[in-house]
Parts: sequence; C-alpha cells; structure tokens
Amino acid sequence: MEKLVNTKQKDDSTIDQDKRKFAYYPGCSLNSTAIDFNISVKNLFKALNIHFEEIRDWNCCGTTPAHNVSKEMPIALSARNLFLAKNMGLEEIICPCVSCYCKLSKASILINNKEIKSESEIKTRKEIFEVFQNMGYKTEEEFNFKVYSLVELLYKNKELIRQKFIENKNKNSINSETSTIESEILKDLKPVCYYGCVLLRTEGVTKFDNMENPTSMEEILDTVGIKSKHFRFKTECCGAILSLTHKNIVLKLSKEILDAALEAGANSIVVCCPLCQQNLDLRQSQINKHFKSKYNIPVYYISQILGLAMGLSYKDVMIDRLFVEPKFIKK
Amino acid sequence: MIDQDKKYLNTIRHELVTIVEPNIYYCYQCGKCTAGCPLSDVYEYQPNEVIRLIQLDKIASILNANSVYLCASCEICSSRCPQEVDIAAVMNYLRIKSWHYKQFKLSSIANFYGIFLRIVKIFGRSFEPLLILSLNLLNKNFFNDFDIAVKILKKRKIRLMPEFIKKRNEVSKIVKKYL
Ligand code: SF4
Ligand code: SF4
Repeated sequence: MEKLVNTKQKDDSTIDQDKRKFAYYPGCSLNSTAIDFNISVKNLFKALNIHFEEIRDWNCCGTTPAHNVSKEMPIALSARNLFLAKNMGLEEIICPCVSCYCKLSKASILINNKEIKSESEIKTRKEIFEVFQNMGYKTEEEFNFKVYSLVELLYKNKELIRQKFIENKNKNSINSETSTIESEILKDLKPVCYYGCVLLRTEGVTKFDNMENPTSMEEILDTVGIKSKHFRFKTECCGAILSLTHKNIVLKLSKEILDAALEAGANSIVVCCPLCQQNLDLRQSQINKHFKSKYNIPVYYISQILGLAMGLSYKDVMIDRLFVEPKFIKK
Repeated sequence: MIDQDKKYLNTIRHELVTIVEPNIYYCYQCGKCTAGCPLSDVYEYQPNEVIRLIQLDKIASILNANSVYLCASCEICSSRCPQEVDIAAVMNYLRIKSWHYKQFKLSSIANFYGIFLRIVKIFGRSFEPLLILSLNLLNKNFFNDFDIAVKILKKRKIRLMPEFIKKRNEVSKIVKKYL
C-alpha cells in the first residue's frame, strides 16, 4: 500500500478538452438527496466545457451493504456500470460520489488488463467475467478504465478553472459593482475544506494528494480567489452510513467536525462527498437538538462554490436546496 | 454443533492469516490504528486488540463483540499502520464471514444491509423512502428521523416513486448470486 507520499501529478490542461469525453456516473445519492450535488456538477462541467455523458441504465454500486456481505458483489455491481460505459465507447469515468468512486475504482483495477494481479484476484476476475459473458457482455476486449473523483478531475484542471474564472470576471466587470446573492456568498466565504475519510485512502487507487494533509481542494478554491482556513479535521470520519442505525455516533463525530471548523475561524465548510454533506448539513439540526448547541454553518459542495465563481446563479447550483442556507438567501 | 461451530471458526482464521492478511503477525501493538479510529470509544475491542486476538486464535470473542460490525471502513487504521497491516480489510473480511454464517451480531445493521440489497435487487437502484420505512418498522422505531424526513420533503430532495432500470434482471442476478 502506498504510504504518505505526495504524488501530485501534472494537470490535464494539455489534453485537447474538445475531443475528450467522460462517462458520468451519478449514483443513487446524487439522484435523490444529493440532487444539488448532481446538478451543480453538471452545470459546472458545462461552464468549464468538460464533455460528459451519463452512463445509460446504470445501476446502484451497492455501497456499504454490498462490500460488507460479499467480496465479489461490489465488484460485480460496479463492473456492470463499467461495461456499460465501454459499450458507449468511454473509458474515462467521472464519479462525484465518494462511496461510489471507491467501488468503481476498485472494480476498474480488477478489470483492467494492465494492472498486476494476485492469484485470488485473477480467480475473482475470471468468475465475474463469466457472469457477464452469460448475460451477453463482451469481456474479451482490452480494458483500460480510469475512474476520477470530482476533486481529482478538478485538481488536474486547475488551469482551465483559473482561465474560465478570469474570462468570466472580465465579461462581467461592467456590472461588478452591483452586489448579488452570488457575489455576497462568495465575498463572505471563509471556509475549511473537508475531504472526508476515504477519498484519498481507497486502497490500490492512485493517490493524487497527500492522505493525511491534502491540499488539492484548497488549491482549487485558491484559483478562484477563495482562501481556506487551516483545518485539522480534513480527513476525519463523519460516521458515514452509521447515521441510519447508530445515529448518536454520527451526531457526535459530525459535531466534532463542526466544532473544529469554528475553531479554525471558518464560517462554512466545503465538501466533496454526499454522505459527509448530509451528516453535516441535514443532521445539523439534530446535532443542535442533541447537544443543545446553535451551529448554523452552511456546508457547500465544492461544485456549488466553483459554479458561483464561474458566474452561475445560486439556483443553477441549487444553493437554495441546502438545509442550512447562507444568510443571503431570503426565505 | 459445538464442533461444527469450531470448524467454521478455524476456516475463517486460516483464511484470514494466510490469504486475507498475512501481515497480521507483523503487528507490534503500537496502537496507532486505535488512536486514529473514529469509533474506538464505542468499540468493545479496539482495532489493535482485534489484531492481537486473531494472533492468539480467539476469533470467537471478536465476533461476539461489536467492533467488526460497527467499523465504518474509513481505512484510517490501515493507511497509518507502520507494519502495513490492513486492519480495515480484516474487519471487512470478518463482517462478510459472519454475514455468510448468519452470525451477524448487530441486528439493526444486518437489517439495513438486507433491506438495502433487496431493494437494489428489485429496482436496480436504491430507493430511500422504502429503505427508511422498512428499517423503522423492523427496528420498531417508527418515528426515527421523522424530523429530517419532513425537511427532505420540503426541499424536494427525494423521489417518491422508485426508478426502475431497464435491465434490472441483470442486477438481480448479481445480487442473488452473491447474497
Ligand atoms: S497500527 Fe499496525 S502495528 Fe500498530 S497496533 Fe495497529 S495493527 Fe499493530
Ligand atoms: S476502518 Fe474501521 S477499524 Fe479502521 S479506523 Fe476506520 S472505523 Fe476504525
């Protein structure tokens, strides 16, 4: 396993973006409770001229339940999504949900021809391929999937973001004096970046940032002029899906994250995972009730903030769908 | 019966120390895994204790404690272990085996996994309203999260009708094969 090495890679701005197209895998969360994440990512990509197409007839990745009851089930569920992308002629996949990303990228490593495999992996791969052959999928081809998390993709496209940001700023310089809800939100923003526990720890997946003290989200925000506060809870765990069965554990862990954010001098949190967002935003009212506290900290998806910086409206990035809204949005 | 019990524990242990994580024997009890574990204060056995108990062939006591079932797979422990013991993989493996042998100790979590995967089997995707409703019924906690359900509805952030994928029979086959 790769240890604390900082293997930051060069950015992708050299690749001809006009010819490049990604398969987009939203996953179940982004299709319901994290619809704001989904829409803001899609609109941000449009603003950045990143081409994508949703995987047709995609299925659930199985998330926590699948990988806790079977070694093969999560791989097989994700393999179907990968094969569907391949049928569309696409092998570069964007997956904003961190939980889905872990499953998809682990499956891609097993399926890809070039990655070195252990004996038991070769056996699992063969078994799973048989299942798909029986369902009529082509498994003889050369596979070379690359699954991107949102942060990795944005990080590699930092220069593109900077460029589009400046273009947009110049375009709007005439009426930059008038203050809008969007400009107020951005001006007021003093965030900490919260990566969540597993994004950078997924075993076997290329690390694009340091897993103990990552800085990619901060650097991305910096390209649009947003300075983040130093945060010691960047990669702590929020308790994830224990919220469904052991709520008090999650309330406690999430409260500690909110506390640390305030202690850092922040007034908001920028996240990249739908589950973290839910635990911190949706459950903030439960935290307040449980601990008799008065937190009122907006928790934004990084795509929402970048969207605003690209000149999108707060409705385009669905900031009005957050449970803890910034004070500038009038009820 | 007791012999049979013992047999499955032996199988688990053998596979665990030979295939899943042979590095287990390199653990020198530094405690780094436990120091970083977000759940250590609710665990009956700490991550480093779990590793030690496996070395000592005491799998049964681990499976009777809450640790492996609560573990959130955050991988903090594995990523920090100086001896490259993949503790999270060990926890995960023990969960899978206790599910397989119907020894899963925390019934609320087992219910969640069971219902969730059945929903995916039917629709091809998850469907939260049905999941929460069934969970609350099974766990006899009818008004759990009622407050946030209201909020979610108000913000129109949930589908009230499930989405069926076209080839859900394929997903069904996969779930059925491995459940
Ligand atoms: S971090 Fe590794 S070596 Fe240290 S106690 Fe945990 S398993 Fe053992
Ligand atoms: S993976 Fe499990 S045992 Fe390891 S630190 Fe996370 S919750 Fe604790």
